[in-house]
Amino acid sequence: MTGRTIRVDTLARVEGEGSLYIKMAGDRVADVKLKIYEPPRFFEAFLRGRHFSEAPDITARICGICPIAYQMSAVHAMERALGIRIEPAVRQLRRLFYCGEWIESHALHIYMLHAPDFLGYEDVIAMAADHRDLVEKALRLKKIGNRIMCVLGGREIHPISVAVGGFYKVPTKFQLQELSDDLEWALQTSLDTVQWTAGLDFPKFEQDYEFVALRHPEEYPLNEGRLVSNRGLDIDAAEYEDHFLEQHVKHSNALHSVVRGRGSYLVGPLARFNLNFDRLPAVAQEAAEKARLKPPVKNPFRSIVVRAVELVFACAEALRVIREYEPPAAPKVEVPNRAGVGQAITEAPRGILYHRYALDDHGLILTAKIVPPTSQNQRRIEDDLREYAAQLVAWPQDEATWKCEQAIRNYDPCISCATHFLKLTIER
Amino acid sequence: MRIICCGNRDRGDDAAGLLVYDRLRELGIGAELSIAQPLELMETWKDADDVIVIDAVVTGAGPGTIHHWDGNAAHFPAIRSTSTHGFGIAEAIQLARRIGNLPKNLHVYGIEARQFDVGSEPPAAVREAAERLARQLAAELSVNVGK
Repeated sequence: MTGRTIRVDTLARVEGEGSLYIKMAGDRVADVKLKIYEPPRFFEAFLRGRHFSEAPDITARICGICPIAYQMSAVHAMERALGIRIEPAVRQLRRLFYCGEWIESHALHIYMLHAPDFLGYEDVIAMAADHRDLVEKALRLKKIGNRIMCVLGGREIHPISVAVGGFYKVPTKFQLQELSDDLEWALQTSLDTVQWTAGLDFPKFEQDYEFVALRHPEEYPLNEGRLVSNRGLDIDAAEYEDHFLEQHVKHSNALHSVVRGRGSYLVGPLARFNLNFDRLPAVAQEAAEKARLKPPVKNPFRSIVVRAVELVFACAEALRVIREYEPPAAPKVEVPNRAGVGQAITEAPRGILYHRYALDDHGLILTAKIVPPTSQNQRRIEDDLREYAAQLVAWPQDEATWKCEQAIRNYDPCISCATHFLKLTIER
Repeated sequence: MRIICCGNRDRGDDAAGLLVYDRLRELGIGAELSIAQPLELMETWKDADDVIVIDAVVTGAGPGTIHHWDGNAAHFPAIRSTSTHGFGIAEAIQLARRIGNLPKNLHVYGIEARQFDVGSEPPAAVREAAERLARQLAAELSVNVGK
C-alpha cells in the first residue's frame, strides 16, 4: 500500500468537470486535491456595467440545475441595495418557486446520482434494471419540481419571470391549485423516500464540522434569515465578507472559502437540518424521527436521508403556499434607479449562495461578488477525503477509488457553479 | 410525430439541436416540437409512438456531420453528448430501454460538434448542418419548405 495514489480523472455523477487526486504515504494521506479544471466563466466581470434589472436573468445562466437560487440571491441583494420592500404574496411565491427547485434538484441527486453508490451499481442505468420503481419516482418528482418552476418562471430552465421588486407575471390561484394533486403524491413519495434512504448502509464516518446555514425566526430557511453556525456565528448577510474568506489554490479554478481564523465549514442539507430542525414542519420532523435521524447528524453519507427530509419539507411548504395564496395587488413594485450596495444569502439546494452588488446612480452594476455553495464546501470535501481515505488503506484500489467518489457525491457538488475565478490569469 | 430537441445555447456547438428547433418552428411543420434535457426525454415522449430526438454529438467525425440512428436498435452507439451530470441522450435511451419506456419508433439525429466553450457561437459548418437537417425533416413531413 506504500505510496498508493487514488486518481479519478473525470468525476462522474457530479455537475461540471472536476477530478480527484489523493496521495497516500503508507497509512497516511499525504495529499488531497479536488481539482476543478472547468474553465473560469467571469460572470462577476461581465455583470459590471449592466442594469440591476438584468442580474437575475444573467446570473440564472450560471447553473442549469439551480437557476432559481441565483435569481433569488440576485433579487434580494438588489432589493436591499435599492431599499425595496416586496409584497407578502410575492415573498410566498418566491418560497414556492424555490421549493420547485429543491424538489427537482434533491430528487435528481437522491435517486439518480447518489442511490447507485449505496445500492452498488455503476450508475443509474445499471440500477434501473433492478429498481425501475426508483427511477420512475425520480423522474416524476423531478417533473413536478419542473412544473412549479414552469408555472412561476415561464419555463423550467433559466426562468424568465423573476424581477427585482417581484415577478413580471404572477400565476392565478387556479394555476397553482392545479399543482396540488401532483404535490400530494410528491409529499407521500418523499415520506417513503425518507424511510427507504434511512435503511441504506452508511460507512462509519463522522466529522466535527462547522455547520453554516441561514436561520429564520419562524421558517425553515430558503430566502432569508441570519447566517448562523454551531460555533457561535450569528451575522447578517452584510457581514459575510468580514467572517468568510475566499482563497485561491493552484489546483482549482474554483476559490476555496474558509471561516476566517477557523478554516473549512459545511453548507447544505446537513447544515440546514442540524441548525434548523425545530423550524421543519411537523410532517418532516416526524419523518426524520421515524427514520431515527436526529440533529446533529455528523456523518456526511447520511446526507441522502437529510435530502429526503428536505424533500418532505419542500413538498409540504409548496402545498401550504398554494393553499394560502392570494395574488398580490401588483406583480411587482416600481424600482427606481439609485446608488447603493446590497448583499443577500439564500439557500440553494447545495447550501448558501452569497451575492453582493454595488450600483451607481443609474442603477448600473459597479461591482458584483458571487460565492456559490460548492466553492464553500470545496475545502471541506478535501478535509473529509483526507480523513476518509486514511480509513481505506486496506481496501482494493478500485473500491477505495469508488468510495472516495461517493464521499464527494455526499456534497452533490455543482462544479459549474463554483468555477468563476476572476484572478486566475494573474495567478498563472 | 413528436420532435424533441436537446442542447444548450450558451455552450458553443451544443446549440445545434436548438438551432434545428428554431428553424423547424420557422418552417411551421406539422409535428409537436419540444425542447428537453436528456433526463426529461422519457417524460417528453410519453404517450407518443413516433419520436425524433435531435442533439449535438461527438463521434470523431467532422463538425457538422449529420448522423441518424434507430433509437430502438439493440445496440445504440455510445455517442457522447455534453450535458448535465454527464447524462446524455445515449444514456437516456439506455435508461428508457431498461425500464421499458422507449417509444415505438424512435429516430435520433445527431449533429457532430467539436467545441463547447461557454458563450461561444457554433461555426458555419454546424449552423449549416442544422439548417440542412431542419429542411430535410420538414420535407419528410411533407411541408412546403419554399413558402
